[in-house]
Amino acid sequence: MFTLFIENFRISLSAVFANKTRSILTALGIIIGVLSVTLMGTLISGLNKSFEDSMSWLGKDILHISRYQWFSDMEWWEVKNRPRMLPGYVEKIKKRSKYALAVAPVMQRGASLSYREKKTQTEIFGTNEEYMETISTNIAQGRFFTQNEDRSGSRITVIGDGIKEAFFGNQNPIGQYIKIDNVKFRVIGVLEKQGEFLGLFSVDKQAILPFGAYKRIFSRRGWMRLSVKVPEDKIDKSIDEIYSVMRHIRGLKPSEKNNFAINQTKIFEDQYNTLKMTIGGTGVFITLLSLVVGGIGIMNIMFVSVKERTREIGVRKAIGATKGMIMCQFLMEAVTICLIAGLIGLFFAYISSLFINKIFPSTLPVGLSISAVILSMVVGVVSGMIPSYRAANLDPIDSLRYE
Amino acid sequence: MTLISLKDIYKIYHVGGEEVRALDGIDLEIGENEYLAVMGPSGSGKSTLMNMIGCLDTPTDGIYEFEGEMVQVMDDTQLASIRNRKIGFVFQTFNLLPKATAHHNVEIPLVYANIRKEKRMRMASDALESVGLADRMYHKPNELSGGQRQRVAIARALVNNPSILLADEPTGNLDSKSGQEIMGILDLLHGKGNTIILVTHEDDIAKHAHRTIRLFDGKITEDIERGF
Repeated sequence: MFTLFIENFRISLSAVFANKTRSILTALGIIIGVLSVTLMGTLISGLNKSFEDSMSWLGKDILHISRYQWFSDMEWWEVKNRPRMLPGYVEKIKKRSKYALAVAPVMQRGASLSYREKKTQTEIFGTNEEYMETISTNIAQGRFFTQNEDRSGSRITVIGDGIKEAFFGNQNPIGQYIKIDNVKFRVIGVLEKQGEFLGLFSVDKQAILPFGAYKRIFSRRGWMRLSVKVPEDKIDKSIDEIYSVMRHIRGLKPSEKNNFAINQTKIFEDQYNTLKMTIGGTGVFITLLSLVVGGIGIMNIMFVSVKERTREIGVRKAIGATKGMIMCQFLMEAVTICLIAGLIGLFFAYISSLFINKIFPSTLPVGLSISAVILSMVVGVVSGMIPSYRAANLDPIDSLRYE
Repeated sequence: MTLISLKDIYKIYHVGGEEVRALDGIDLEIGENEYLAVMGPSGSGKSTLMNMIGCLDTPTDGIYEFEGEMVQVMDDTQLASIRNRKIGFVFQTFNLLPKATAHHNVEIPLVYANIRKEKRMRMASDALESVGLADRMYHKPNELSGGQRQRVAIARALVNNPSILLADEPTGNLDSKSGQEIMGILDLLHGKGNTIILVTHEDDIAKHAHRTIRLFDGKITEDIERGF
């Protein structure tokens, strides 16, 4: 059996390579199929990774209170008509809520930073001393600011790793002065390096200022949200409680609708899963489509191959090949085309994944790659079945006479 | 000892409602180490008889025994095994695989016989040497002359040491010199103890055989044995 297997494999290879152009054209469907399924896998694996990183950065146990419900289809004017978040809410929430472990107001805007000749455009955040509790990042160097520094409006800042790299390189930034929109701030701390959020933008390029200084210098009435840290095992209860606390603060009657929103990273997860399903579904659809088309192509070319080699089949039967052996030979040829196609597809997928990896971190999933190649071989078996069966059952006498 | 025994063999085709009797009641016995020539005009049933003997075709009626075993009741695997081990075919048009070397062509029956690579290589080389092609083993058919191709085909037929060699017009596509060479090889094989069945319509070729049967319209009209 093994002897025959080797021989059949040899025949298959020589048949495939004798008609290179034909084989490649035939295999195109399979190549595209394998390429699409593996690329889809790469994409999803990359998304998964950056999503998980980003989610851990956001923190599951953090509630974000603002005017706007994330991913909702609220009209802009409706959002705009809602009352603003006020800094005073921080104390009120702390006082009324038993679940809130930390409450930080966060204001945010774009600003230009400079240090000597170096300049960069970035986001600045104004917040209080509890901010560190609501993010999962730690201080890498120096320290965060205190409540007193916040209240006194000290012009100090904690910068992201990206800013530190850009401005100071290997130098110690602590105690240095940088300019934020032309106002001097003293650097007191540096955040840990965090990477990119959803692979889209770096969160390392930011500067955090005490709320007091931020309000005084940049804007009294900017867009603001409140980040509330709650116990991880009581998130649902906490949400209910914060809703009622906020309604109380806003003085809403039971009949009135909420004029604020509590956002949770879970919403990201839901959104993300929808996105993943869409990508996965599209990928599976393209894959199936191209595999079916590819399979039909393989079947077609196998019929041609059987026809072309009718005489050879006759000779082989005359010198002792059984039906099964002939069937094996042609099945193997179909599988070989598909296997080579699968490997070519995989090769292109690998190259592409290296490229994708430059855009956001992702890897070609090994399991999926193997399955894709096996799948393409299955396509070979299925589409080679009928032509091979026909070859096996050719009448040897007619085949020998075939011109 | 009787190798092949055909009793009242019929092969009937229906072509467009008409009945064609390719073989019409053939009785024939072929013994070990016979050298038989089958002659007759075209359409007389020579090739059908050859295919029948070679287990490529099955009779419509009658009994065919090969080495005492009924061929009709055999399945595809058993028939393939007989063709592989007991019978060697030599065709008028050589029927070599064009993309394979002479050596590989000769090797194929051994692959189907499931013989190991080293042994196969040696057996194929020996067979090619015995037909005088030691220096042409790794040439492809299109690099060989007609006579050489037919010798490759004979080597392929011989390689599994079959008891019977079936040659269907083996010299039909060759010039007379090559034809004589091929007949020389067949004579030699007969001398070594092989049974040879030869289809031809040339008297010169038939002369090599020790027994000649003539077919006409699917019937044996003449069966002459010549002592040598």
